[in-house]
Amino acid sequence: MKRILLVVTLLAAFATHLYAATLEEKVVEKTLKNGMTLLMVERHTSPTVSAWIRFRVGSVDERSDERGIAHLLEHMLFKGTTTLGTKDYAAEKPILDKIEKVALALTAEKARFEKADAGKIAVLKKQLAALEAEASKYVIKDEFFELYSKNGGTGYNAFTSRDGTTYLISLPSNKLELWAAIESDRLQNAVLREFYTERSVVMEERRRSYDADPESKLWETFVASSFLAHPYGQPTIGWMSDIENLTRSKAEQFFHSYYAPNNAIVAIVGDIDTKKTIALVERYFERIKPGKVVPPVTTVEPRQSGERRIEQVAEAEPTVIMGFHKPAITTPDDYVFDVISMILGSGRTSRFYKRLVIEKQIASDIGAFDAPGNRYPNLFVVSANPRTPHTIKEVEEAIQTELDLLKTTPVAVRDLQRILNNIEYEEARQMGTNGGLARNLTEYEATTGNWRYMIERRSKIAAVTPADIMRVAATYFNRENRTVGFITKKGGGK
Amino acid sequence: MKPLIISICFLIVSITSASAADQHVTTPRTMKFPELNFQIPKGERVVLECGTPVYLLRDTELPIINMTAMVRVGSVYDPPTKSGLSAMVGSIMRSGGAGGITPEAMDDELEFMASAVESGAGSDMGTVTLTTLKKNFSRTLQIFNEVLLHPDFSEVRLEIARKQAIEGLRRQNDDPKEIAGREINRAIYAGHPLGDIMTFASVSSISRQDLIDFQRRFYRLDNMILAVSGDFDRAALLKELNSIFKRGKNSCALDLPEIPQPKQLFQSEVLYGKKEVNQTVIRMGHLGLSKGSPDIYAVRLLDYILGGSFTSRLTMEIRTNQGLAYSVGSHFDIGRRFTGSFIAETETKAESTIKTVNLMKNIIATLTKEPVSDGELNAAREYMINSFMFGFTTPASIVTQRARLEYYGYPDDYLEQYRNNIAKVTKTDILNAARKYLHPEAFKLVVIGDAAKFDQPLTTLGSVRELDLKLNIPK
Repeated sequence: MKRILLVVTLLAAFATHLYAATLEEKVVEKTLKNGMTLLMVERHTSPTVSAWIRFRVGSVDERSDERGIAHLLEHMLFKGTTTLGTKDYAAEKPILDKIEKVALALTAEKARFEKADAGKIAVLKKQLAALEAEASKYVIKDEFFELYSKNGGTGYNAFTSRDGTTYLISLPSNKLELWAAIESDRLQNAVLREFYTERSVVMEERRRSYDADPESKLWETFVASSFLAHPYGQPTIGWMSDIENLTRSKAEQFFHSYYAPNNAIVAIVGDIDTKKTIALVERYFERIKPGKVVPPVTTVEPRQSGERRIEQVAEAEPTVIMGFHKPAITTPDDYVFDVISMILGSGRTSRFYKRLVIEKQIASDIGAFDAPGNRYPNLFVVSANPRTPHTIKEVEEAIQTELDLLKTTPVAVRDLQRILNNIEYEEARQMGTNGGLARNLTEYEATTGNWRYMIERRSKIAAVTPADIMRVAATYFNRENRTVGFITKKGGGK
Repeated sequence: MKPLIISICFLIVSITSASAADQHVTTPRTMKFPELNFQIPKGERVVLECGTPVYLLRDTELPIINMTAMVRVGSVYDPPTKSGLSAMVGSIMRSGGAGGITPEAMDDELEFMASAVESGAGSDMGTVTLTTLKKNFSRTLQIFNEVLLHPDFSEVRLEIARKQAIEGLRRQNDDPKEIAGREINRAIYAGHPLGDIMTFASVSSISRQDLIDFQRRFYRLDNMILAVSGDFDRAALLKELNSIFKRGKNSCALDLPEIPQPKQLFQSEVLYGKKEVNQTVIRMGHLGLSKGSPDIYAVRLLDYILGGSFTSRLTMEIRTNQGLAYSVGSHFDIGRRFTGSFIAETETKAESTIKTVNLMKNIIATLTKEPVSDGELNAAREYMINSFMFGFTTPASIVTQRARLEYYGYPDDYLEQYRNNIAKVTKTDILNAARKYLHPEAFKLVVIGDAAKFDQPLTTLGSVRELDLKLNIPK
């Protein structure tokens, strides 16, 4: 599901000339003195507003001893501040400090594995439980959520990806100040209370989203196997043993290092007055001091020099994923990949669907998309389910045949025109909801450096020629650059 | 205790945001807001010359037009031996060509225009939808009409759809969550068409003539409601709709089969499906209530308090306090044509399975024993009333909502009275509703996972019937 959504998002990002003027006119930009970027669009269709905050820090920015911390921190930032979510912070704080001391000792002891002292662990666990029970007396559970909900807020949520972390809410438009107050407080005064219970929640999230779902498990293994060096290979949620060793101290360190206004992009879309909104945001956010810029990841994935084949044995029917390394967003070749991905994978007229599903009938589903992030060189991915009795091998060969065809035969002009026509529609459509527009503005401002990518992309796509497609296909769609992941049904292997 | 504190805080007079501008920012607990003027948008109801009602809402923000036909059809009308017929009809109406346009030509023409016509059917409603840039509306409308009323049901496309459906059946036990969702529904609606599922035998028995007969019987202008929104000219649109949707002269009278209500049997049962996974999928529930019940408003609040929000009792205890699950909740699906259902669900590590099932049952049972707190009631009421406007954020959602209410026979003033009806609900109403509609002792319980790793034997929850998850589908 997640992967399909990505394709939709990419489609939604294009822009026509006609519309470009509109979006260009509609977006109001403001950079606060502390470096926070504010993007606004007035839409008065309903008396509602969506507010999204994107931080330019995701799981790709983690060190190896803190994998999973960006995501766990995202969970923890719903737990309140020094004034919200607590009945008496002054009384609560000393207990929180004791909890962390015990938790660090417990984590350290467990990290000794077979040399660990079981008796010591039991004592520490008991102490931790007692302290947590004591601390809970001061907690007002999920007060952020409660405040937003009572005021009619919906869709209060957050998500973490390789590239960034986003916090979102929609509110009746007269309640925007509530957002400014809560979010500016969270940025300055977050308290990561109830940390170790939430860590258990994230372990359940991992079991639910990866361990117990064969396709997702294959996906995680496939991505990890595609990147030997670059942190894009690591799962955002973290491996289970990573999560088990995360501590509140690490989360606080990550928070204070990166959650600064100069690393934040805010999009506010809906029934607003942009001048008043700027004043409101300045009043609440401008006094927050800037922090250090998130340093870029300097690791470069070594060039792949041979096919990698990844097998996952599972209680599930076969499925296959094929990936090729490719450059990051905004590089010239990335626009060519956009075109290729639409020709191969978008809609009922796409080549994959027509050949593999309708004509050969060897697959039941097939799609093409970019993953696992956009800021750094990523993968062009094809994912398909073979239709019984057809095999992984048949589907793989049919996919490669389509990829090879792109190297030798120029794409028809009509196919390129269809893509441009669809971009024109998607440009209009994406303006139709507050949340959708806020999402695209924050996403592209963060990953490309400027939301105008949404406008400029149109002309870049229009400039892609059949010869470009042949060149790019020949450069990237080769066996040495390919990783194939597949599920073998348990008991069904040879 | 906690929600009470907050609601008191809201009553405390606070400095307004205006006066706070240059001294201090106000705190969220005491913040006051300007009035908001919200009128419920309506859309216009027009009856076409053919007799079909259409809801219209013009909005020129985007150069796009959306249209939906809601057709009184669905899987409840599938003959017992042909489960899946309605769904197949819904999908092949679009994929199998229509009005003499071949499937390939239709795909090509629509996608070249960046228009979409899609068709599908659920349990008690079929929809055909259109989305297009304004400039391509007329041609897309013609294709929409052919798909809706004159599908060709290409034999080749039927075979592809059949093979796809069989492949879907082959994969239906891959994800434990999918197994659990399917099996709880089957258990709750056992013996009723709502509990029937497509099988290899049923999907194999469907012929092209079955598709044609089924489509002709239900997809008729006197058996549907239309909704159109977007950038259209009202007079031109009505003229176009009237010229394209003409009732046939000698069509026979509409004949919809009578479908009985599900039997009100409340009997507990434990269903177990074995999967070698480290997390158990848990679903529990039974029949619920229908929209005609005067209790629906009390049940909506009950739903929010019990398992329908992040601060609900189930989430608060099982996730926030005990860290036993990532996702936990419950939901009354209020029946529109047939008695609805109540289902509570979660997933937890194998080692905490029985503990979590018992916790959930106890939390649910508590609601039948004592009233909710004032704080809980207020929080739920305020959320429902203050977030009501989010049901009206796009022109398409406004008209399809109106059409849906008429389709299911809701009172004309349902939306206008909704917030009043929510505001009137008392703690006693909620307690009475909980007693009437929650029966934890009679839950159907579905557990998918690895029983060998559970904290206690599954039999401590009752006698267990093991599900057969083997696929009986020939290669």
